[in-house]
Amino acid sequence: MMNYFYNISGGDVRGLRAPIAAALLDGIVKVVPAALVVDLFNTVYRSFADPAEGLDTGRMWFVCAFMFVWLAAMYAAYASLYDKTYRVAYSLAASGRLRLADHIRRLSLGFFGRRDPGDLTNLLLSDYAQVEHTISHNVPQLVSAVMLPALSLAALLFVDWRMALAMFVAVPFGALLLWATDTIQARLSERHVRAKNEAASRLQEYLAGICEIKAHNLGGQRFERLRLSFDRLRSASIRLEGVMGPMIMGAMLLTRSGMTLMIGAGSYLLVGGSLSLPVFLLFLLIGNKVFEPLTVVLMNYGEMRYSAYSAQRIMDVRQEAPMRGDAAAEPHRPIAFDRVTFGYDPDSPVLKNVSFTIEPNTITALVGPSGSGKSTVARLIARFWDAQEGTIAIGGVPVRDLDPEKLLADVSMVFQDVYLFQDTIGNNIRIGRMNATQQEVEEAAKRACCHDFISRLPQGYDTPVGEGGSTLSGGEKQRISIARALLKNASIVLLDEATASLDPENEEAVQRAINELVVDRTVVLIAHRLKTIQHVDNILVLDKGELAETGTHDELLARQGLYANLWRLQQNTDGWRIKP
Amino acid sequence: MNSRSELSSLIRIAGEKKGLLLTAGLFSAVSSVLQIAPFLAVYRIIEELLMHAGDPAGVDKDLILFWGLAALVALIAVLATLYISGMCSHIAAFDILYRLRVRLSEHVAKVPMGYHTRTATGELKKIIEISVEKIEKFIAHQLPDVVSAVIMPLLLLSYLFWLDWRMALVLLVPISVAFWLQARMFASEASRQAYRDFQSAVEEMNATGVEYIRGMPAVKVFGITADSFLTFKQAVDRYRDISLRITDICKTSYSLFFVIVVSLFTFVVPVGLLLMSGRPGDQSFAITFILFLIVSPSLSVPLLKMLYLGSGLREIAEGNKRIEAVFAEPVIAEPAAPRIPDTYDVAFEQVSFAYEKEISKDFKPVLKNVSFLARAGEMTALVGPSGGGKSTIANLLLRFWDVQEGVISIGGVPIRGIGTEKLMEMVSFVFQDVHLFYDTIEENIRMGNAAATKAEVEAAAKAACCHAFIEKLEHGYETKIGEGGTYLSGGEAQRIAIARALLKNAPILVLDEATAYADAENEHLIQQALAELVKGKTVLIIAHRLSTIRAAEQILVVNQGEIVERGTHDELLGRGGLYERMWQAHVRAASWKLASEEKRASRPMAAEGGRR
Repeated sequence: MMNYFYNISGGDVRGLRAPIAAALLDGIVKVVPAALVVDLFNTVYRSFADPAEGLDTGRMWFVCAFMFVWLAAMYAAYASLYDKTYRVAYSLAASGRLRLADHIRRLSLGFFGRRDPGDLTNLLLSDYAQVEHTISHNVPQLVSAVMLPALSLAALLFVDWRMALAMFVAVPFGALLLWATDTIQARLSERHVRAKNEAASRLQEYLAGICEIKAHNLGGQRFERLRLSFDRLRSASIRLEGVMGPMIMGAMLLTRSGMTLMIGAGSYLLVGGSLSLPVFLLFLLIGNKVFEPLTVVLMNYGEMRYSAYSAQRIMDVRQEAPMRGDAAAEPHRPIAFDRVTFGYDPDSPVLKNVSFTIEPNTITALVGPSGSGKSTVARLIARFWDAQEGTIAIGGVPVRDLDPEKLLADVSMVFQDVYLFQDTIGNNIRIGRMNATQQEVEEAAKRACCHDFISRLPQGYDTPVGEGGSTLSGGEKQRISIARALLKNASIVLLDEATASLDPENEEAVQRAINELVVDRTVVLIAHRLKTIQHVDNILVLDKGELAETGTHDELLARQGLYANLWRLQQNTDGWRIKP
Repeated sequence: MNSRSELSSLIRIAGEKKGLLLTAGLFSAVSSVLQIAPFLAVYRIIEELLMHAGDPAGVDKDLILFWGLAALVALIAVLATLYISGMCSHIAAFDILYRLRVRLSEHVAKVPMGYHTRTATGELKKIIEISVEKIEKFIAHQLPDVVSAVIMPLLLLSYLFWLDWRMALVLLVPISVAFWLQARMFASEASRQAYRDFQSAVEEMNATGVEYIRGMPAVKVFGITADSFLTFKQAVDRYRDISLRITDICKTSYSLFFVIVVSLFTFVVPVGLLLMSGRPGDQSFAITFILFLIVSPSLSVPLLKMLYLGSGLREIAEGNKRIEAVFAEPVIAEPAAPRIPDTYDVAFEQVSFAYEKEISKDFKPVLKNVSFLARAGEMTALVGPSGGGKSTIANLLLRFWDVQEGVISIGGVPIRGIGTEKLMEMVSFVFQDVHLFYDTIEENIRMGNAAATKAEVEAAAKAACCHAFIEKLEHGYETKIGEGGTYLSGGEAQRIAIARALLKNAPILVLDEATAYADAENEHLIQQALAELVKGKTVLIIAHRLSTIRAAEQILVVNQGEIVERGTHDELLGRGGLYERMWQAHVRAASWKLASEEKRASRPMAAEGGRR
């Protein structure tokens, strides 16, 4: 329970004070009419007990008037509860969303590679919607479900402790039932969540691969897997409902059976003469109402569990530690790897004991078969992750001690996957330096060979690009990212040379743009075509996560090792032919 | 938004499980009527107590015990019927969800690929996942609730009318006022406007939220996390402000509604008192009055439920509209009498094509009057600038779209007359962006030919140069790909796709930039292996690296939707046209070297730039 409040309030239970207080007040205000009805009954009772005296209508009119006046109090209390719960729900969710967003932006780039962005988006949007809902609906319900029975019990104990005990004795058993079956519930919910995620993955796979599915006539077979996952989701959902139902109903039955126990006790005590009739009446009237809020809470039990789970997922990300460090890197300093070992999964290292130094303002190429760790080296320089062993230092300062934002301020990355924002082309370039003038933006665009194609667009630099930048070709996107980097003017450039699927003219334009970018900077190049790097200052040859060779092109050729072998293989490319 | 038609389409969906839903509704009604029973039991006991108010010892203990137990039995019956109703409606709901998802997935596989290029995968996924999910609430909870929320008050009010029409009539007044207050609030311009604003605020927050997360890596790299955070913050703040505005608008009328509905008995009191004053000493009327006080609170739960029904409907309407839109997409027409070609020459005759309809404002012809013949046993290469229409030509052959003008035929038979299934059997296709399935590597290759033996799978893998790297994996061919399995590099994935295509061994082979991500050394090996395997087939190749297609029997240069030049490499080189220009650019690009010497040579210019 406390856990539930802790999580839905984003760790700040105090924020829930106002709605809880309002719910308490509202609950107390709501008890009054019940007491007034009891008084009406007693008046009627007296007229039955002593018919000679007759009905005291004067008293009843007074009570009636009071009931109508009290409606105003009920309105005031309820309006305040409504106002408080919604205000707090929306404010807590808004501040929670912002706090989570603020936290997320401090996490390492590696975190974003590891987590599915759709998942993170859900946390920020739909999970918080769930939290909003639970604060505005379940919290006041919970408060009255606890308060009304508690208050009644306390008051009724003074009236007649035997009757009070009879009425409430079963409540703990209801709670016990839910507590005892918690593991079953948890297991079923977990299975349900797993079936749901599985169906989502299969659906993702089906939709993303729909081209291949159509081309290979696999509508049937692949579809069968998707269908099965939907089918399993259906069974898991039905099972969850089917098993949770009896437990919740059992808990309801147990709590509410107190009424019957109380009636039984009352009838014996009454006949035995140790219970007065008005007291029995009082218990009957209260017993009729006191369990209603508890029933509502039990009805919404599943929903509350689900909300708590949403809140828990949010808290998990909030507990993800951001990268530490506050030092700033000096530009144009050497980058040194000293016995660096790193793996995305610590048990299977991608880099093993790698040491090398990159001199400032030189070009270093990373070479090796796919999967040898080239990209990882580049990403470690930008501190996507921290190495598990060894030190990476820039100008002698370990990157571990650098403020990640300050480090990134001096690093430009030109990779193949270029993210364009839903904004104009001009602003997409300006991302490199937010305060750049239009003239500076155009200057960078010219040097990155994008000015021409941008000028040909109907709205020029003001042309909007879609989400993910779908309206531009791959080569155009790459050149825009180079323009950004030029504008950013960082001293370290991490470059993925791959110019796959660019037509020759685009490829040439990208190459010209890269030539502009590498001047007077420390360049680390992930190289694919060895021809490109014949004249770079240093080549690091990686093989299975280890540094196999280093040297210039000529030195490496002379060594007759892995590099020379790769070089020979690449010389042979002579094209497609079907009539040899 | 036309909520009436939304409702009817939902009811149509629900109609598929009529039996279960009727049962659910029936039990829900029974359950809601039984819910009155405990109130009545209490009333009976109180009646007995009042009747013996003078001599408490004369109270019939057994009668009280009977009603006490009756209340418990009624409660058990309420819960049991509720459970039956809930299970029926949930089973129906989950089954409808399942069927809807299956039908949606089936449908999207039958619509032309054009639909999938226009519609983001994420959007479609959201419809099948989330929009469908929302229907569960409507069917599993709200349909039975409608029944109980309508039947229970009707029955109870009829009973109360029968007992005493004057007090019952008085109950109707506050109920009507409460609903009128709510209706007036919903209909007011302020609330309509607020609701519209709310919708747009939700959409804006969702859109900025998605971009905030998706763009975060890029944003971090450029150190502008603060700005992007501000954009999101503004959207979140706006959403909160509008939500609070709606809270303010709804507060008064909803609070009044709530207080009235939970205080219905209050309104009975004055009327009851008036009537009682008229006949003092009438004990039976006093007891009826007591009954009204005890039973009328049980009206409040269904009345409160009724209010939520409208809002729930609104919630699913939007998603339902999207589901309907997916179903409205026409599927590809299949021929009545499929014809099978004998030869596999591919011919385009005067083909014109655009992704949009001609009347659309986005209309942009992609192919104009394209004609060519790709002969079996020959290699036809498509080259040209990006966006020129090369991939479109290849995709049209698979009938991912139907052309607007002209005819595409295989061995003289128009592809529309072949039938998609047969057509797919005739063509092997290696796409630029390869998609591997969450399955073993072996199964991923076997997709090409489900009947292939392990040896055949391995042979194809060897030809496509993936055998070596697969063998190096811990589980070899049994290695699972993706989602906790192994992730392959772009080049490796592409080679798997080539193996898949080789295994399929179809008479027509289309390679769309099939080795774009392959390492240079592997590219060479793949090209060698393929040369053997594709003898006699019709081969269409799209390539950017012109050196790789020099040997093609026919090169088609595609630019802005037209074939501007055609011929062999040698013929085209002499022509001084686009191909020759591209070839020169290719040669220059291929000899490009990133080097320190170049850097020094260009330093003056760069230094000028650096000083800005």
